[in-house]
Amino acid sequence: MPTRQRAYIVEILTLLALIAAPFVLPHLGFAPATINRILIWGLVGIGFDLLFGFTGLLSFGQAAFFGTGGMFAAYLLTNTSFTNTIGATLIGTAVAGVVGYLIGLLALRRTGIYFAMITVAIAEVFFFLEFNPLSDYTGGENGLPGVPPPNLDLGFWSMTFGSNTQMYAFFAFWYFVGLVIALRIVRSPVGLLLRAIRDNPLRAQALGHNIHGYKLTVFVVAAMYAGFAGSLLGMLQGFMPPDAFMFHTSGEIVMQTAIGGAGWLFGPLLGAAVWLYLADFFQITLDLGASWKLVLGIVFVLLVVFLRHGLVGAIVDLWRLARPARPSAPPSEPARAAATRVQAAAQSRHKSTRSTSGPILQVSGLTKRYGGLVANSDIDFSVDHGEIRGIIGPNGAGKSTFFKMLTCEVKPSSGRIVFDGRDITAMSVSDACQLGLTKSYQINQLFDRLTVRQNLAIAALGELRGKFKLDLLKSLPKVPGLDPQVESTAALVHLEDRLDTPVAELAYGEKRRLEIGLALATSPSLLLLDEPLAGMSPQERVETVALLKAIAAGRTMIVIDHDMDALFELVGKVTVLQEGRLLVEGTPDEIRSNAEVQEAYLGGIHEEAGAE
Amino acid sequence: MSQSRDSKLNPSRLTRRRMLQATGAGGVTMVPGLGHMGWAQAQDKPAIGTWPAGSQGNTVYVAAAVPLTGTYAVQGADELKGWELAVEHINTNHPLMKTLAPKVNNGVLGKKVELKSADSAAKPNQALQAAQTFINQNKVILLTGSTSSAVAVAMNKFAQREKILYMPGISGSNDTTGKDCVRYGFRQGYFGEMAANSIGPILLKTFGRDRKMAFMTPDYTYGHTTTESTERFLRDKGGWKTVTNQVSPLGTQDFSQYLTNIANSGAEFLMNVNWGRDAVLSSQQAKQFGLLPKMTLVLPYQIPFFAKEAGVDISEGVFAATDFWWTLEDKYPLAKQFVEAFQKKFGYRPEWGAENAYVSFAHWARMVTETGSFYPPDVIKHWEKGEKIPSLVGDVHYRPEDHQCVRPVFVVRGKAKKDMRNAEDFWEVVDTQRGEDVIQSPTAFGCKLGDYT
Amino acid sequence: MFTWGNFISQCFNGLVLGALLALISSGLTIIYGTLGVLNLAHGAMFMLGGYAGWVAYTYTGSFIVAVAAGAIFVMLVGVVTERLIIRHFYARPHEDQLLVTFGLGIVFVELVRYFFGSLSKTVPPPQALAGITPLGFMVYPTYRLALLGIVTVALLALYFILYRTRIGMIVRAGIEDAVMVDSLGINIQKVFMLVFGIGAMAAGFAGIVNAPVVAVAPDVGDAILVQTFVVVVIGGVGSFPGAVLGGLIAGEIISLTSMFNPAYSYVMLFIAMTLVLVLRPYGLLGTVGRE
Repeated sequence: MPTRQRAYIVEILTLLALIAAPFVLPHLGFAPATINRILIWGLVGIGFDLLFGFTGLLSFGQAAFFGTGGMFAAYLLTNTSFTNTIGATLIGTAVAGVVGYLIGLLALRRTGIYFAMITVAIAEVFFFLEFNPLSDYTGGENGLPGVPPPNLDLGFWSMTFGSNTQMYAFFAFWYFVGLVIALRIVRSPVGLLLRAIRDNPLRAQALGHNIHGYKLTVFVVAAMYAGFAGSLLGMLQGFMPPDAFMFHTSGEIVMQTAIGGAGWLFGPLLGAAVWLYLADFFQITLDLGASWKLVLGIVFVLLVVFLRHGLVGAIVDLWRLARPARPSAPPSEPARAAATRVQAAAQSRHKSTRSTSGPILQVSGLTKRYGGLVANSDIDFSVDHGEIRGIIGPNGAGKSTFFKMLTCEVKPSSGRIVFDGRDITAMSVSDACQLGLTKSYQINQLFDRLTVRQNLAIAALGELRGKFKLDLLKSLPKVPGLDPQVESTAALVHLEDRLDTPVAELAYGEKRRLEIGLALATSPSLLLLDEPLAGMSPQERVETVALLKAIAAGRTMIVIDHDMDALFELVGKVTVLQEGRLLVEGTPDEIRSNAEVQEAYLGGIHEEAGAE
Repeated sequence: MSQSRDSKLNPSRLTRRRMLQATGAGGVTMVPGLGHMGWAQAQDKPAIGTWPAGSQGNTVYVAAAVPLTGTYAVQGADELKGWELAVEHINTNHPLMKTLAPKVNNGVLGKKVELKSADSAAKPNQALQAAQTFINQNKVILLTGSTSSAVAVAMNKFAQREKILYMPGISGSNDTTGKDCVRYGFRQGYFGEMAANSIGPILLKTFGRDRKMAFMTPDYTYGHTTTESTERFLRDKGGWKTVTNQVSPLGTQDFSQYLTNIANSGAEFLMNVNWGRDAVLSSQQAKQFGLLPKMTLVLPYQIPFFAKEAGVDISEGVFAATDFWWTLEDKYPLAKQFVEAFQKKFGYRPEWGAENAYVSFAHWARMVTETGSFYPPDVIKHWEKGEKIPSLVGDVHYRPEDHQCVRPVFVVRGKAKKDMRNAEDFWEVVDTQRGEDVIQSPTAFGCKLGDYT
Repeated sequence: MFTWGNFISQCFNGLVLGALLALISSGLTIIYGTLGVLNLAHGAMFMLGGYAGWVAYTYTGSFIVAVAAGAIFVMLVGVVTERLIIRHFYARPHEDQLLVTFGLGIVFVELVRYFFGSLSKTVPPPQALAGITPLGFMVYPTYRLALLGIVTVALLALYFILYRTRIGMIVRAGIEDAVMVDSLGINIQKVFMLVFGIGAMAAGFAGIVNAPVVAVAPDVGDAILVQTFVVVVIGGVGSFPGAVLGGLIAGEIISLTSMFNPAYSYVMLFIAMTLVLVLRPYGLLGTVGRE
């Protein structure tokens, strides 16, 4: 990711490479037509990379949009009096986008393997439509021949890009445009959220984002890239082929991206170059005849097995190895940091609530059944503004389930939840977060492939931008209030020195702190903490309790934990759950000496309960 | 094509950057490949397609894109062998080639001919890609190969755009010299309409009027046009009724659904327009389902190697219309020479795909050598004179209106095993139709040839 | 066209086709259910079974030997593939697994094409099963009837292994929770290898027994692969009964649609799959969580 100082270096390098290519590549054995083809595949690949590399949605259906956009543009140029190729291309792209939207509504209802399967089905259905019912428009198995070469018509002056070189200039220009747009998307808030969806979609949702909306957005964007490239293909060949719709075209797009490396935007271009070059090389230069596909297949398998991140990934890894390691910042002294933290905590923001006294959360009759198992049974629960409440209970008491219902991750079987005067029982987890109710998880739910800064930014963006915003072209650093929020939250959890470290490199305790930090960064008015002390060393526990006390200012908190010493020191009131039911509530002292609680934990050994 | 051309000066970099900014006018092509050459020509004619660049060396290249994989792989390989034999004969002054194209002299116009081939997998996109590469790398002056009519139609348009001559090999669709015809394309072989008009009379004579037939049609241009032509002839001239038309995708393996429908349709004749491996499988399965020999199998458009792959028990008694069968050597001395030469080189007797390819090449060589130049418009104009020229089965001519060769079509009938004189004696030629009698009028299918340049 | 005779005939066709799909799909679904790997090389394994059987048939002239050869060869291929390649992919993201099996599928197909050419090879049915059987409402190739029987027996055998043996129980437990099985001290690696082998064998067995019907060629697996996925999705991923049910449903959809318009039969299958996914997200008999 280029920093602010090195902005646009990627664009400039690409521009230079595109200009140099027609001089350099032919000497390496690339035929000019092949170079043009590589650009087209690279363009489809940009869209697919945004979808797969950045958002993690593996779609085998890009061919449907590639073909649709291409056919539409080709139809305009061959069967109507439309002659403006650029116009036809843009119309084809728009059509592909609309179709992508409709298909996305259907396909994105499922994830993972089912999503992939629906995209396969879509591709097959589209191919069938092209081949059969719509063959009057698409030429059926013949495709649409007679597509003119690209032209530029400004009324007073026009030119046709007929030769290979001219077409190269045309395609390279549009590839560049497409790349610039994609880079902007990647660097925008939406781009960051796409990566969040890839790494941990549920957490992204829990941080207040409408992930379905973003998925749909990137799906449409990918469809538009495919449609655009399809239109260019028709012009390159003078013919819009039916096999643009075929499943194997989608497969090739996937393979090229895998070879080149997903998530870098350039992977597909490199992958296409390798694929097409080898296809030409094996088939024509080496004259292997029909066995070129075998060699290509073996090469592909080897690449997938040994180069985990594709060719671009391998190049980047080599680059990192070659570069001298940056010295890491020395950790600041704990004492000073602690003081800063307390200060920062007092200033940390939280969402405002309708009222500032009385119950902030009221739960009545909350029940959750899983088949025959009753996880929570008829719980009435209430927390006032500014309270720090603890929840304890033996294993299997249903504490985590209770929390999940509070944050609306799980729908209760019956009962009602009122937060800040609003009935939130039927809301989604992202809506609850937007209202100010956030949770930090028992098992770290972080965005593992991103840095600490990016993790916190994802959380902060939820509050700053709301549930869904289509700011695809906005630059991330320019989001107002983002950096201050990220940095102050990082300071709060003592990760300010680790902001640019990838999460995968953090120690467990640091990850735990980041986990809390994520919840904090959404500026919650009611913060739920599910076993925040789990897995921490005694020293870390002390620090964390101090942190929790500090951030409690102006907020309401509910904490689940098993470390009763720490918990009782922190909270004002304790709720005890057992076997899905609310057992008793009271101050820490009351609970400590409550016989029922002891019985619940120790299983009825009354004699030993006196000791402490 | 670009509007204006810079003169021999300016290096392309400056021009290219201007183009990128979309302010400059004109363009210069410096990258090797097709397009106009930047420098002035010695001849008085501007460069066109791969002329004159493709014929300036000692060798001229021709490119063949045939299916070597997929449903038509067997037929594609056979077609390729026809091209290969023709190239060899051109380069070595083989007497057969000298008869068909007398001015050939160890090559054409002093250049050796070399054949480049690639796998099209019967996919138009793949064929075009291969063709484009050959154009760029070798500046081929002739494009060939199809087997699939979808490829032929796509290559027609491509050849017209690139201004390079194209001769499809096997292409059974009416459209190739019908509504999808092009100035730069010439077809030697027969096609659906000619096949239908040839086999129709025999069927009527043998089986009489008012019969019921079921069609099996592969779902693309060749299938639909051939079925349509056959159906029209038998219906209009003999009152035959189509009780069902089962359309299957190319590459179908299991025909049980279609055969079940046919079994329940009351048909007496099974008109199988499927081709390649589809034909073999569908016919074998028809037998398994008991449709054969209860119904009579008819192959309106013959498939090379059908009898060998499907088995003689299925091909026995089957009528088919074809371009060529090797037993014609008894009647035509040139055919005999061809069969012998092919058998010597490849170890088996040629089917009509190879014959079609060989004769197409021979005719092209003849036209080029008689024109005395590689300049495509001149070659085309010479070709369009429509003179009578020899082929393996008598004299033929090309129609200027649609570039289709008017040539005889043969009707064959499958032999029983006991009647086979050798292992390849599958078919007996039972009728010969003159081309003129079975071809549609030149304008019937809406052919509009394009420009010369 | 619709006539009662045609309807019954097509239903029967659907049954035969469905049984075959059920067998192949069971293999795919238990692999995915247990290992979490979607085996995109499954169609190629179907094809390999046909070729292995053909080779055996050419040498021995015995159909039974051919079937055994086909099944065993592909099982070995499955075991070796899992051991050498797939094993290293469990820790890698799902997409990588898809890609490597996709690539392996291509390699298998092209290897066969390289060694055997593109011509299709016929494996004739055994003499006793060749010919035609009159069934009253239609005549039917005897071998296809036998195929229905053979496949049913194979499915029952698979059911027996999965539900009545100890190893089958372990496999089913592995489908539910592989980590748990591992923590119970059972050698999960061996289980995975075995499961992949059994799944592949199902495909290979189907390939050789189906060879007398459609002949073997390098690309017979491609169409089968996509249909198999559809069946697995309809039936529910990881569910053996789901694969059987899904297979039969798919077979009937294809056959009955072709009564009216054969061109639409495969498209109808995809539309059906999409409907199932929208209405019953985990397939007809699938379990929540397996995704």
